Amino acid sequence: MHIPDGLLDPVTTVVLWIVAVLMLIIAFWRLNILFQDEESERLIPYIGVLAATIFAFQFVNYPVPGGTSGHLVGGTLVGVILGPWAAVIVLFMVLIVQSLFGDGGITALGANTFNMGVIGGIGGFYIVKAILWIFNKTEMKKEVKVPIATAIGSYIAIVLAAFICGIEIGIGGLIPMDIAIAAMVFWHILIGIGEAIISGLIVWFVYKAKPELIITENMLGVS
Amino acid sequence: MVEWERYKWPIISIIVIIGVLMLMIAIGFTLGILSEDPDGLERALIDIRSEEWLEGLGSAWEPILGWIDNDYIAGIIGILLTIVLIIAVFSLISYISKKKKSKNE
Repeated sequence: MHIPDGLLDPVTTVVLWIVAVLMLIIAFWRLNILFQDEESERLIPYIGVLAATIFAFQFVNYPVPGGTSGHLVGGTLVGVILGPWAAVIVLFMVLIVQSLFGDGGITALGANTFNMGVIGGIGGFYIVKAILWIFNKTEMKKEVKVPIATAIGSYIAIVLAAFICGIEIGIGGLIPMDIAIAAMVFWHILIGIGEAIISGLIVWFVYKAKPELIITENMLGVS
Repeated sequence: MVEWERYKWPIISIIVIIGVLMLMIAIGFTLGILSEDPDGLERALIDIRSEEWLEGLGSAWEPILGWIDNDYIAGIIGILLTIVLIIAVFSLISYISKKKKSKNE
């Protein structure tokens, strides 16, 4: 889903850069509050490890039927573990490094941050929260319901991000919008299955290995 | 003094991630676990237009690290760059918030 340079029109590029920068400023401000707690500093090396994991998973593509491939985006995954605002910053940093290698354009960094960090991270987080609200009415243990909600939430978020990406490409006029949306959504309906499985398994693994790393339980309303 | 005990697990995790990534690249393509096919956006654009059209999209900038064509080296550099950037940014956030807190007290 990494938009290359030259695909979006200048207005869409600038607007999405402005939105992404505004979101990054809000994220910086919101995390300031979180980091006032003395203990939160301990999390920094683990945030680095999580970002490295996202980079590594985005680096390798798994095959998807129909001659395409997919890779983890990870916005919802980071949102569930560290919170929606941290997800925007983590995804932005990962996308900067990837653009240095030519994966995703530099002018399109704002659009890519919006699609993967804002839609995937913030949007995905609130989708997971809504699913957990339903799961909280059941007897499921949190070690089970949070990974399942993450898997479903990541799937919905990736398809939603693909839909929005289709609109952005369509606005540019190089490709008709209806065709861009249909193609993007179709392929990501398949690719999203991998995103859901990987995200759910990582959250499940974190719950098993180091549950205190999931700092969003209160925000997610996990009971 | 650097508290190595505090960073022991993150450092081990980073080494494990790099190792797993290398292993995935090495055996992933051979076993068919990984794929070099275009991703979702590329596939959609190739279907609508063509591969030549996609490759011909102009960019004002040449990717700084685009010359690295070895997957292993690119993977290691990418992981290390990501970690350095993330730790720098979150340490800055932590530093600013603590400074703000002590100022308020």
